[in-house]
Amino acid sequence: MKGMLRLASIAGGLVLWHVLAVWVIDDSVLLVSPLVVVAKGYEMLFVTADLYPHLFASWWIFFYGMILAALVGIPVGFLMALSPLVRDYIAPWMTALYTTPRIAFAPVLLLWFGIDIGSKIAIVFLGCVFPILINSFYGMRVVSREFVEVGRSFRLSGGRLFLKILLPASVPFILAGLRLAVGRGLTGVAIAEWFGATEGLGYLIFFAGQTLNMPILFVGVAVFGVLGVLGFQFLQIIEDLATPWKKELEAK
Amino acid sequence: MQQRGLRRGLLSILGGLILWEVLTRLLLEDELLIPPPTSVARSLWKLSFAGELNRHLYATLFEFACGFSTACAVGIFLGYLMGRYRWFDELMDPWIATLYSIPVIAFVPLIIIWFGIGLFSKIVVVFKITAVAIMLNTAAGIKNIDPVWLELSRSMRLSPWETTAKIRLPAALPYIITGMRLGVGRALLGVIVAELMAANEGLGYLLREASETWDSPKLFVTVVLLAAMGMGSFGLIKKGEQRLAPWRESAEW
Repeated sequence: MKGMLRLASIAGGLVLWHVLAVWVIDDSVLLVSPLVVVAKGYEMLFVTADLYPHLFASWWIFFYGMILAALVGIPVGFLMALSPLVRDYIAPWMTALYTTPRIAFAPVLLLWFGIDIGSKIAIVFLGCVFPILINSFYGMRVVSREFVEVGRSFRLSGGRLFLKILLPASVPFILAGLRLAVGRGLTGVAIAEWFGATEGLGYLIFFAGQTLNMPILFVGVAVFGVLGVLGFQFLQIIEDLATPWKKELEAK
Repeated sequence: MQQRGLRRGLLSILGGLILWEVLTRLLLEDELLIPPPTSVARSLWKLSFAGELNRHLYATLFEFACGFSTACAVGIFLGYLMGRYRWFDELMDPWIATLYSIPVIAFVPLIIIWFGIGLFSKIVVVFKITAVAIMLNTAAGIKNIDPVWLELSRSMRLSPWETTAKIRLPAALPYIITGMRLGVGRALLGVIVAELMAANEGLGYLLREASETWDSPKLFVTVVLLAAMGMGSFGLIKKGEQRLAPWRESAEW
């Protein structure tokens, strides 16, 4: 029963969309039927296969940006959690960078890194780094408050305390940060590829928008949606695998 | 403790600005890559004196305010219904979840095609982004209400209308404001992107104009203004959150 209403909602919505597109609006510049979108998506995936270059171009930007963000965000987050001095000096700059709409930096980064992949990776990086950093920071702070005493009573040295207790215990927080970063990273990809790109999913959407090619526009939007959900689910699975004790706690 | 943090923060900003000024003056020959803070300040002064800045700032703020306020009204209303009625929740959920998981930017070309390049399309962008975030959070707040409070309202013989106004909505308020906080950042991003793409005024337009004419000081002025807008709106909402939900450990970011 529970699933039925959901399915009905999806089916009903799609039918409504089809009816709107075909009988009410009847203008392929404004709206096309979901059937047309699915057909176009099938064609781009399996017949002409011209979606793949865009997909790969976007993937590499996303991948490098995300990796860099993790490499910078996690250690800086840890440092800020462990040293109030570092935190106080970095915090104001971080607040400024984090709360500014990222698009504002895009032209500046373009100026600095050129229109090649460098500036695009930088834009994705800027989007991903803060959720990762902030989560690592909070994770390490919570963990270091809770577990340092335990480590002390076992007479662990600083290094071993970090490796054996603090690092593993903050893994769930880091993973949660990575999960949040996926969505922001995808937005970053779309922003990055809009400036001076010749391929990629973002380019595809903007090009389709400018040439009023509705089927391709919808395919692009749908691919973004699918990627967002997949990335989120993927990291959720990793989180469950990496932190089996969380499941046990919930079961209790 | 708090005071020391504040002092260090100010010191950090001041030191950073001085370092920025000195380095750019010493190392860079022109202002194209990074203009020193003083030329950014001069550009800001010049632009605001000419009245150009006010027009763009006003346009963006107006679009943002219109979209945000309608999104609050609609988002809270629909979110309330989603929280109260299971069937409505299940009806809306697949679509809301889909809308929420697609990057904001991907919708902007579509919204511009549908609603034109003027004011209206930007309001729609802000509305779409904020409404979804508020709706999801309001629904969660209404669902998670403490059953004891509902029993209390029953024993007080409150009418359904009073229960909503006096118990359910106030209980959901912290959630609602969290939704607003999540919506604000994304909505600001959305409105700037929409202005960059197609507009003749607004900060996004200014950003594009500055980058296309290679006017770096102007570009940085826009970035600074956007940063101020971002921090301002974020700070306001955080204040609201602390006031409405003081029991929560307030997030620093």
